[in-house]
Amino acid sequence: MPYVSNLYRWRALAVLPLLMLLAQGCGPSAAAGTSARQRGYRGVVLPTPLSKPAFSLTDTRGATYDFRARTAGKLTLVYLGYTNCPDVCPVHLANLAAVLRTMPEVARRTEVVFITADPARDTPERIRAWLDNFDPRFVGLRGTPAQTRSVEAALELPRSLVPDTARGAYRVGHAAQVIAFSPDGHAHVVYPFGTRQQDWATDLPRLLDDRWGER
Amino acid sequence: MNVQWWCSALGVPWTWTWRPYLGVWIFVALLASAYARAWRRADAEEDRTQRTGRIAAAAAGILLLWIALDWPVGTLGAGYLASVHMVQYILTSLAAPPLLLAGLPRAAYRRLAERPRALGVTRALTHPVAALIAFDLVTVLTHIPTVVDALMRSQLGTFSFDMAWLATGLMLWWPVFAPVPERPRFLPPLRAIYLFLATVVHMGIAYYLILSRFPVYGIYELAPPTGWISPLRDQQVAGGLMLVVGALVVWTGIAVVMFRWMSAEAAERTDAPPARPLPAPHH
Repeated sequence: MPYVSNLYRWRALAVLPLLMLLAQGCGPSAAAGTSARQRGYRGVVLPTPLSKPAFSLTDTRGATYDFRARTAGKLTLVYLGYTNCPDVCPVHLANLAAVLRTMPEVARRTEVVFITADPARDTPERIRAWLDNFDPRFVGLRGTPAQTRSVEAALELPRSLVPDTARGAYRVGHAAQVIAFSPDGHAHVVYPFGTRQQDWATDLPRLLDDRWGER
Repeated sequence: MNVQWWCSALGVPWTWTWRPYLGVWIFVALLASAYARAWRRADAEEDRTQRTGRIAAAAAGILLLWIALDWPVGTLGAGYLASVHMVQYILTSLAAPPLLLAGLPRAAYRRLAERPRALGVTRALTHPVAALIAFDLVTVLTHIPTVVDALMRSQLGTFSFDMAWLATGLMLWWPVFAPVPERPRFLPPLRAIYLFLATVVHMGIAYYLILSRFPVYGIYELAPPTGWISPLRDQQVAGGLMLVVGALVVWTGIAVVMFRWMSAEAAERTDAPPARPLPAPHH
């Protein structure tokens, strides 16, 4: 049974880091530490920021998309999934699209990048048609299986699990978090499955303007 | 086949594959057999003219409950669509209870009167003030996002929702539709006001659902998409259903109360003995 089949298992995984933070202590100093670490974000703040990796994949028009260059200076939300995903992927992208529709100024400064974890079935046309259901501005990228693995490693994501493609219908096990690269070129916060529209609406404007202090 | 006791949010993509809910069947079967037994026992003493109508009301009430609790309405309402959850609420709490009460034979109420303790408890629970408070409290509690999100994932949670809705629905409608004149001073105009007051809380919840900028229930926002409707629109439809259909059911109840009252008044005027002629003036 692929591990994407049950949303609640994902949700449990999603809240695990938060529970771990809460479990560290109940005293005032512990609470202050948690608060400082989370900086008031609804997403999970990474203990060590992730530098935006350099890679190039093919976009839905067939052109080469240089990820670092094309997203420079923008808030970039990267998500790795597949168009046949019945639950996590469409929920994540639909929620992001719904929130960005209500915040045109934020949307203008934000790039949503979807990378397929299932290049065998996700043709550029299929990816485009699927993304257009959410927002035509969303960027869709596709690479060879080897390129996809390399991108996953660069984004510090677990490797996708694609079963035997010869058997037709299948599900792909993949990471469920959206990685948010701030305009400073680092990902400080990730958004596991379970992130609500209200969470995005709270965090997106902050992610655009946060200077991340000492950095 | 995955047999469940009661519907709950499953977190798996929606399909039209039928799902059996054993607890729902047992509950509906027990309810139906209780009514059948009550009618068999009451047959001899019941008013023949009202028998068919009352049995039809009972059957309709049981059918509405069954629709609300079983697949597909129960499944969709528990874990996919807030609008279907609202349909469940309307059926369980507003539509089925008056039919179930109207469908009870009078003999069943008479038997209740023979048990002083049970009658006392029933009277206390169905006092209009107590019933209104309980109904509104349960309605508000069962629409609070954190409560919904916490309870809809478990079969026990959804069972609690359904039973609380049914119980407080019966409490609400009892002073209006129980076929025994228990509270002679609770006159039809007061009953109409009482039912109207019950809808006030609906307005607050409905407008909250309609006017919220984002989906308020995580269970429906994060559910595997059905592809029919976005979570926010679904929530707005839920609010609209509560506002319009909920009010329609309650106003139908009010109309029935007023119609019965006017019919009874007219009948009383017709049945009244003719006025005696005044005695001739004495000279």
